[in-house]
This record gives sequence, structure tokens and C-alpha cells, in this order.
Amino acid sequence: MKSLNFQLSNIQSRSILVVFLLLVAFAPMIMPVYQITLMNYIGLYALVVLGLVLLTGVGGMTSFGQAAFVGLGSYTSAYLTATQQLPSWLEWASGSPWLALLAGLILTGLVALLLGAMTLRLSGHYLPLGTIAWGISIYYLFGTLSSLGGHSGISGLPAIELFGLTLDKGEKIFYLIWVVLLAAIWLVQNLLNSREGRAIRALKGGQLMAESMGVNTFRSKLVAFVISALLAAISGWLYAHNQRFVNPSPFGLTMGIDYLFMALIGGISSVWGALLGAGVLTMMKQWLQDWLPVLFGSDGQYDHIVFGLLIVFMMQRSPGGLWPILMKWAPVAFKPKRDLLAGTDASPELARRTLPNSGDLILEARNVTRKFGGLVANNEMSLQVHAGEILALIGPNGAGKSTMFNQLSAVDTPTSGEVLFQGKSLSGSNSREVAKMGMSRTFQHVKLLPTMTVLENVAIGAHLRGENGVVRSSLHMERLQEGSLLKEAARQLERVGLGDYLNEEAGSLALGQQRILEIARALCADPCLLLLDEPAAGLRYLEKQALAELLTRLRGEGMAILLVEHDMDFVMGLVDRIVVMEFGQKIAEGLPEEIQTNPAVLEAYLGGAD
Amino acid sequence: MLSKKLLPVLLVGATLGFNAAQADIKIGVVTSATGPIALVGIPQKNTVALLPDSAGGEKIRYISLDDSSDPTAAVKAFKKLIDEEKVDAIIGPSGSAAAMGVIQFAAESGTPMLAPVGTAAVVLPMTEQKKWVFKTTQNDDLIAAALIEQMQKEGVKTLGLIGTADPYGENWENVMSGLASKAGIKIVATESFQRQDTSMTGQSLKVLMTNPDAVLIAAPGSSSVMPQTTLKDQGYKGQIYQTHGAALDPFLRLGGKATEGTILAASMMLVLDEVPDSAAKETATHYVDTYTRIYGNPPATFGGNVYDAGLLLKNAIPAALEKGKPGTPEFRAGLRDALEKTKEMPGTQGVYNMTPEDHSGFDERGRVMITVKDGDWKLL
Amino acid sequence: MNFQIAVLLGQDGVTNGAIYALLALSIILVFTVTRILLIPLGEFVTFGALTMASFQAGEPTALMWVLLGLTLLDSALDAWAMRERGFDTRKLQIIGLKLGYAAGLVILMHSLTLDQIPMFAQALLTMLLLVPIGPVMYRIFFQPIASAQPLVLLIVSIAVHVAMVGVGLLLFGPEGARTQPFTDTALSLGPVMLKSQTLWVILVSIILIVSLFLAFERTLYGKALRATAVNRMGARLMGISPDFAGKATFALAAFIGVSSGILIAPITTLYFDSGFIISLKGFVGAIIGGLVSYPVAAIGAVAVGMVEAFSMFWASAYKEIIVFTLIIPFLLWRSLTSHHVEDDE
Repeated sequence: MKSLNFQLSNIQSRSILVVFLLLVAFAPMIMPVYQITLMNYIGLYALVVLGLVLLTGVGGMTSFGQAAFVGLGSYTSAYLTATQQLPSWLEWASGSPWLALLAGLILTGLVALLLGAMTLRLSGHYLPLGTIAWGISIYYLFGTLSSLGGHSGISGLPAIELFGLTLDKGEKIFYLIWVVLLAAIWLVQNLLNSREGRAIRALKGGQLMAESMGVNTFRSKLVAFVISALLAAISGWLYAHNQRFVNPSPFGLTMGIDYLFMALIGGISSVWGALLGAGVLTMMKQWLQDWLPVLFGSDGQYDHIVFGLLIVFMMQRSPGGLWPILMKWAPVAFKPKRDLLAGTDASPELARRTLPNSGDLILEARNVTRKFGGLVANNEMSLQVHAGEILALIGPNGAGKSTMFNQLSAVDTPTSGEVLFQGKSLSGSNSREVAKMGMSRTFQHVKLLPTMTVLENVAIGAHLRGENGVVRSSLHMERLQEGSLLKEAARQLERVGLGDYLNEEAGSLALGQQRILEIARALCADPCLLLLDEPAAGLRYLEKQALAELLTRLRGEGMAILLVEHDMDFVMGLVDRIVVMEFGQKIAEGLPEEIQTNPAVLEAYLGGAD
Repeated sequence: MLSKKLLPVLLVGATLGFNAAQADIKIGVVTSATGPIALVGIPQKNTVALLPDSAGGEKIRYISLDDSSDPTAAVKAFKKLIDEEKVDAIIGPSGSAAAMGVIQFAAESGTPMLAPVGTAAVVLPMTEQKKWVFKTTQNDDLIAAALIEQMQKEGVKTLGLIGTADPYGENWENVMSGLASKAGIKIVATESFQRQDTSMTGQSLKVLMTNPDAVLIAAPGSSSVMPQTTLKDQGYKGQIYQTHGAALDPFLRLGGKATEGTILAASMMLVLDEVPDSAAKETATHYVDTYTRIYGNPPATFGGNVYDAGLLLKNAIPAALEKGKPGTPEFRAGLRDALEKTKEMPGTQGVYNMTPEDHSGFDERGRVMITVKDGDWKLL
Repeated sequence: MNFQIAVLLGQDGVTNGAIYALLALSIILVFTVTRILLIPLGEFVTFGALTMASFQAGEPTALMWVLLGLTLLDSALDAWAMRERGFDTRKLQIIGLKLGYAAGLVILMHSLTLDQIPMFAQALLTMLLLVPIGPVMYRIFFQPIASAQPLVLLIVSIAVHVAMVGVGLLLFGPEGARTQPFTDTALSLGPVMLKSQTLWVILVSIILIVSLFLAFERTLYGKALRATAVNRMGARLMGISPDFAGKATFALAAFIGVSSGILIAPITTLYFDSGFIISLKGFVGAIIGGLVSYPVAAIGAVAVGMVEAFSMFWASAYKEIIVFTLIIPFLLWRSLTSHHVEDDE
């Protein structure tokens, strides 16, 4: 998986898109009727799979329950348009598929919110198993409720009418299905290339980081989940009025599994993979049915066996799906390229926080103690960081620096004592809230999203400086502000010396550069306090010099900086004051030159060697 | 992607080629040879090989597709047969839900459809669309009426009902609740179960608590066995009735001693050597013998439903040929009209008499009362 | 509801629960060692039952050809691997042994009058035929992607399940099967009749559960096997290769699955596609045990059986809904209590 292909912006790839759209537009005139039927199903499936790409491929949440959402969309419409005697409170919605669509979307949205609120907190394997659980429950509910026609289903649904046209034939509803699908692809692509989208993309492998950049990851999960449910419900609505008959079986777990198969075969990380996967799987089932009897004779049913084995083979050979392979083979000229900064000239610069006056107390730890069971990781630790000052926290391995760092950044809560940030106690706050208050951090083990570009990674840091939500992002109504965010990210990258790498994949940078990237990302949040966890580790001499210069400049601007570091040379020449820890306690505090001669520190570092 | 675009072209070519090469009569067959109701679908699919290969001097070609017991796939298969293969008639699908789903597409394209499914809803109430549907099984109410009659004869006053949680069980529940109340039989317990359930203790206890005079089990195929064995294990002494869904040899094999004394109404295929000679018996005997010769075991009655569909078509084709050539709408319309005029045609299941109102066309000759005695089917 | 009914339902719940518990334990076992959620476990249950039934009908099942075919493929893969790693006489012997085993089984199958031999021998034969499919399955389908993402493993697991259901339909047909009970007596316990087969199920299940527990919680080797998931290097130091650990657990899981199938075949009708829903209920138990704890999972699985039995009585139409909705609170509880700080999914 080389890159996520979210945006086609250069001329060649755009011309491919145009050719593809023309093909779709004229398909009903040139293709045989049955192929149009299949195209309709491909479109319907692709709509659901698109949601899975967003949810599973991008957001990292595996769901087997999408078919149940398709069912909700289908059954709502079937119930409202084809039931003879609706309860009186629902009569307003009877008969019209369009009102039924609205009702279906509202219902699905509510159910998704409820299920999401319950199950999206699940971690690891619990989430997919959870989706299996409610997926099955909803499926059985369809068959059990007699008002929904039980297992026999509901027949006699009306065809959809649009601008006076009755879409009662496959080749007519074809246009509706594909317009909806392409619009959905466009919207999802827009979303992914926005502030909200970056937050969703950070869910897979970067939740801790995203939270500390102010992203409400649970909300982002819920957003992805609800969107994917709504896409499924729309697909279900179209399905119901195309089929004009519904019964429970297309909404069971088998179909939920098939949707996931489609997503994985197509390529679960890209929106076009959704279309490809739906197409390949649908056609593959057709071919198997056509060709297997020729190969094996018709007295056995081999298609399920062959189908299952093909999936296994596919997963063994290319777990990323077909789309990445296709992209690898495509001539360079056809590969989508992008320059996210194009067209951002009109965007204004972001407003900046007024930094406190130099010398103001920014961060204070008062007698912080943290115990893990019987182990005391931090004991009565106190320290102060002022604006326009660099404080280093040093100590040998296992001294409790990382634990202290977690207490200071509100990732963890002290057992006793408290941490004050700009005079306010952090007890009860989470990392998201302290990010809002102006604290920004880097990580000891670099946390960035390797398949996203350097620019996008840094732009996550500016999450709290934009406010455009999902709807505006999907409709590209936030381009002006989006431009501001990206320009800010680019400015910070220039500032730290990574200006030449804006459109590279972050994963392709050297480790030292990745650390610098993290600083740029932290700066992008416009903080007044910077917490740096071993920023110089893995850096070369010249890079360290550049980093020292940058930090000195920031200090000059009034930033408060706390760094945890091992590299003594780096620390001694740079910082204003040093706090030394050993065995969870502060053993010394003072100016660098005092620390260098402090006997307790020497004892700690040199292990009493005299 | 490339081949995806190429395929339609190839298929068009292939279809055109076929059409030019032969002007046979094409009949599509859609069965559920895999998936949950494969039990019904497999004998049906196997029967395709036994269907008449010519009628009215024209050769008949059959195109058999599997819908994996999935109504969506059944719709796809129908559309494929109609749009791509341009078939003259379709036999299938195996499932009731699937059949309900495909009716409109058969009707829209004017293709006669012969559904080997149980639920009467595919032909009743008759509508403009259902004019194109013919049903080759006894309507559930025909069988139900026979059972009710038998129950009245034995003085049954209260009845417990156990049905599968699927269209089959559901339909029986509806049919029975109507008929039973008319006959003065009270349904005291209605329970449902899933085919794959590994235990039925709960349902069966619930039925036993009401202590009914008799219990009717409505379940297709081998799933009819477990309710019966569970009831017997728990010491139920009343009469157990089964529907024609149980009319399969696996019922005897799996149920063993517990099936002794069961009463069911079904087609005569199970008790061929006991029923008096008739044209229908001859047809059924021929079918069973041929099937057994090819596949090594006798067919389930579901297969007979497809066989009858073939016979009905064969019977109707000569008249239809006068209206138009195979492959034309005129021919299909003619076929439909001719099917509707079927009179006194013996099939494996009984004798067919179609009318514009009745597209199932069975009378009492469509079922016999059967009981299990000494581990074998016996005429009651 | 009176006492008698409660006892009957309880007995039913315990019988099914015992089977779910067995499956839950093997699911946890496989998961902790290989990170694979073994969805096809249910197929081992159904294959076990259906094979047994076809033996009792006097027919050798075509499954032996499947085993032979898979063994050939497995040997080919091993031979191919040898091409890269260099010639190894011992490996060659093992390949020969495996092929000989499969071929020998085919011959044995054809020379025996299957419905005449005692039931114990039939069960043994079923085991001999089906248990080797476990490790072979691991070798062919999972070993090449042992370190893949969890989602990929899950998808492959499901795909194998889909293929196996297809094989099941092909080999055993759509009709379900039942077998003869081990012993045909009934025990009366007050007003309640207990079938001896249910006692068999409970007894054998308990024996298997306890021995599994002892093997994996109390022996060094078992602990080491479980450690492979966490620490592949450490396991290597113990002399266990991850490949071997995978095969061993799959063999054990297959054994448990097949045993469960043979145990319940006399009291229920199993179909070629019954496996999925049965193993899902095992999964529910495993989830309650947090995919790690054997005793909690066993208790959870029995609870699932009980809930099922009683909801079957109270609201038969809603049974599945009740069972599957019930795990959501457990999932929440498990997910919230298990500390999962890092996000490397």
C-alpha cells in the first residue's frame, strides 16, 4: 500500500475519470440489459462497501453488521410504502419512497448512534464480534416482527419516481444508483481530505496522538460509523425499490461478510477500491456460476468452495487488495498526484494565541506522587516551567521521567499532589482538554501516520484551530479555512527545516526527520507550552544544532518548553534549568553548570564510581 | 478492470451466436442447490436431467442456475435468463420468498413461470402479475384441509402447532389458524424454531404444558424430525401430524422409532405401490424409477414438483407453437394461455386442471393420507 | 413453570452449554497461540457428526479424499520450502509419513465394513480422519500469513469456513444427520427422565475441559505454547516453533470440535451448515472469558446454554435475538475493564 489515493487532480487522471463517467453515462445504451442489472447490483454493493472503506479501511474499525443497516433502509421504505394499514402516527409518510428514504435515514442514524455509542468503545477483536452480535440480532428481528412480513417479507413496493419519471426498469434506476454512488464517492473523498477526515484517518494507529492534538477520537469513530451506516441505508432503499420486494435473507451475516470480502478484495484503503471490489466480487460469482459447471460438470456445487479458496489465496498474496496492485501497474502519468497547497493563496493566516509574558509561571507540579500498586513511580515531585524558559527533566533509565511526563500532560492522573497549567489544576482533565488550553507535545516513540503526507500529518496539529464539521467538509464548503490550516502546517514545516518534504509520505522520512516532524505538528497547535519527549534521539549533529537553534528561537518568542532528554551535551548547551530525577524523586534542580558539579547527580549517573 | 469491460462484449457475442445457431425452445430453471434450503433445491436440480427433451417437434434446451437460497440471487438469475438467455419459460425458484420476489420480473417480461413452491401466495389472490405464475405444488390449504378432516375424524379438539421460523412454517401457521377455527379445533400453542437449532426442549415443553390432543409439525425436510423426537422423548402420547414437508425418506431414517404412527397428507409418491392404478401413478412411478436409476436414491417430492412443471410445459408447447416461434413474445404468451388451459393432465403429484382463477390446479387427487408403520410409509 | 420444567430446561441448557464451553475453550486456545479467531471450528463439529453418521450408514465418506488431497498440497508446500532452505532427510521422512498416513487411511476405509464395527471404532476412525485436517489447514491457509494483521487473519478464517461449508454440502448432502446414542437407556431422576446420552455429553465435556485446563495452566509446555502468541522468540527458546505451535493448537481444536460433534450427534439433527451458529455461541462464551480466561469462558458458555434453553421456552421466536444481544453488555464490560492503552490495531 503505497499511498491513499484520495484525490485525482492532474490532467491525466482526470481524463480517466471523465472517460469512466462517460462509460457509465452511456452504459444503458450500449450494454445488454442483463449487464445493466449486474451494474446496478455492483453500484448498490459499492455504496455499502464505500462505507466500509471509511469505517474499516480508513478508521480501522471492522464491521460485519453493515448488512443490517442495509436492511434498516430497505425495511423502513418497504414498511412505509407497501403496508396497507400504517399506524396513524406514521400515515404522513405512507406511499412516498422519498419520505421513506428520509425516515429510513433518520432511523438508521439513530440506531447507528445508539449501537456506536455502545460498541465503538470496544477494542481489538471485541468490536468485530460486537458487530456480529447486533448484526445477527437485527437480522432475526426482521424475520420475527410480523408487521414486517415475517420471513416471507413484504412485496409490492412502488417504483421510485423522479421528476415525473417512474424508475421501474433496471436501465432507468441505473442512473439514480450510479449518480448516488458517484456523489457518495465524491463526498467521502472530500471528507477524507479535510480536517475531520484527517481525524478519522488518524484513528487507525494514531488515537493517542490524535487525542493529544485535541481530536475527540470517539466522536470521529462515531462520525465514520454513522456515515457508513447511512450509506448502507441508502443502498438498502435503492435495493428495495429496485427489487420491489424485501425479505430478511439479504440482510444477514452472510451478506455482511460478503461486503467485507468486497472491501478487502478491492482494496480497503481507497474509495475506488470499494467500486473495484464490488465489481470483481459480483462478476466473479457470475463467472464461477457460468464456468464451474463446464469444468466440473453440473452435479456438484463448487462455487462456494472455489470462492472461499480464492479469497484465501487473494489474502495470502495481496492483503491490501487489488486497487494498490492496479496503481502499481498503472503508468506513472496516470497515477494521481496532488499538491494540497494548490489554490490556498486566498486563505488568510490563522489567528494566533497571545503568548504569556516572559517569566510567567506556566506549568507547575506540586508534590506529584504516582503509585502503581506498591510501586512508587513518582514520589513528591515538584517542578515549575516559566514562559520563555527551557527546562530539562533528566535522569537515568527507569527514574520515572516518562511517568512524570504523563502526569504533566494529563495522560495519567497523579495518586496525590496536583499539576497546574496556567494556574488551573489538571485533575480530571484529559489530554484533549489540555491541548485546547495550549499544551502541545511530542512522543518518545514517534507517533505519526506513515501513509499520510508530511503536510497532512502536521495539519493534524492544527485540528483545534479549525471548526468546520463533517457536512461542510464533505461539500467542500470549508476550502478557505482548510487552506489556512494547510498553509499553517507548511509554515511550521518550513520553520523546522522540512519544507522540502511536504508531499512525501511521512513514513519515508528518516527517524530524525520524523522527530522534527512531530515538533512541527506540536507547533501547529499554536501552544504556549511545548513538552518534548527525547527530541534529540536519533538526530545527527547538524540536525541537533538546527533543533537547538529552533528551540532557542521559540524561547525568545516567549514559549515555555519542557524537555525530557538523555543527550547531556544537547541539554547543557541549550536549557535554562535542569531537574534531575532518580528512583522517582527529584534529587537536584538548578542551572546546568550547578548540575554538572552536583555530587548526587554524579552519583546517580556514574553509579557511585569515584 | 479490463476483463470486466471485455466480458459484456464477449457475452453479447456468445448470445448472438447461440441465437443464430439454434432456434430451440429454451427453458430456464432456477433452484436453490446450495444454501439453507439446498435440501429442497438439490432434488429439483437433479430432476432437470429427467425433463422432456422435446415437445411439439421442437427440441427443448434447459439452462439451470443456482440461487444459493438467496432471493436476491434468484432475481439476478431470473433477469439473466430473461434478458440474456431470452428463455421461453422459467421453472423455479425453490424458495417461497424468492418466488414472491421474482413474480414481477417474470410478468414484466411476459415469461411464464412455474413455481415449485409451497406457499399459495404466489398464485393467490390472482392479480395481473400473477397471471404469469403457475404453481406445481399442492396449495398448503389443500393439504391442511385434508389434515383437518382427519383430525375431526379422530376427535381432536385442541391442537399444538410447531413450525419453522421461515416462510414455510409461517405460511402453515396462517393457513391452519384459519381452517382450524372453522372446524372447531382450538390451537392452544404455537411455537417456532430455527432449522439449525440443536435443541427444542423449550418449545416442546411449552406445547406439552397445554396438553393438546394432537400436535402438528410444519417444517420442511429433515427439520421436521427434531420436534417429533423431542416430543416423544418427553413422553407426549397424543397424535402427531406432519405436513408434506416431512414426506422424505430421511424423515424415517433420522426419526427412527419416534416417527411411528405419524399421520401426514402428501402426494402419492411415497406410497406408489399401494395406491390404485391411475395415469398419475404411472407418471410418478416412471419418474421415481428413472431418478433412482440415475442418482442411486429415490427423489424427494420436491423434485417431482419440477418434473411436473416440465410435463405441464410439454403439454402446453404444441398449442403455443401455433401462436409464434420460440423466442418470441407471442410464443411465451401462447405458452401462458396454453398452460392456463391445462386439463386433466396427470403429473407425479396428482392431476392438474388449471383455470384462470386457479393456477395450482390440484384437487383431492393431489394428496393422500399417509401414516408411518413399521418404519415405512403406508396409506392410511 | 414448575420445578420439573425448570429441571428439564436446566439440563438442556447444561448439555448445550457444555458443548459451547468446549468450543469456547478451543477458540481461546487457538486465539492466544495464533491470534486467529477460528470460525471454521463449527465445521469440525458438523463434519464429525456427519462423518459418524455416514459410517453408521455403512458408507465411507469422501472426506478421506479431501484429507489425501490436502496432505498432498501440504507436502508439496513443504517440499517447496525445502527447495529454499536446503535438503533435509528428516523433513522428507515426515512428508513420507504424512502421505503414508493419508493413503493408509483411504485403504483402511475401503477394507472395513463400516456399519459393522463397534461404535467406539467408528468414533476413533472419525477422529483419525478429521483431526489431521486441523494442522494441515493451518499449514496451508494460515501459516503463510501468520504475522498478518488481525483483520486479514479473520477474513481468511471466514473464507475457510465458507469453503468448508461448501465441501460439507458436497460430501454429506443437504439432509441432516443423527447418530445412534452411545447407550440407549434413560435415567429417572424423580419426576424427570434423563437420557443417558446427555449424561455422556456432560461427563465427557467435563473431562475434556478439566484436562485442557490442566494442560495449559499447569504444565510448562502448555504455558510455553500459550506464550508463543506473546513472545515468539521466547517460545523458540523453549524449543517450540511458532509453526509447530500453530499446527498443534489447530490439531487440538479439531479434536475438540470433532469430539463435540460426535457427542451431540445422537441428540440433535446437524446439517452441513449448522456449524457456524454453534461456533458463534462458543464465541459468545469465549468473549465472556475475555478471550483469555478458561474458567470464565467455560462458565460463560454454560450461561449461554442456559439463557438459550430458557428463552426457547419463554419466547421461542426471539431466542437468537436474546442470546446475541446479551453479549453486548459483556463486550462493553470486557472492553472497559481490560486495559488497552496503546492503539496498534
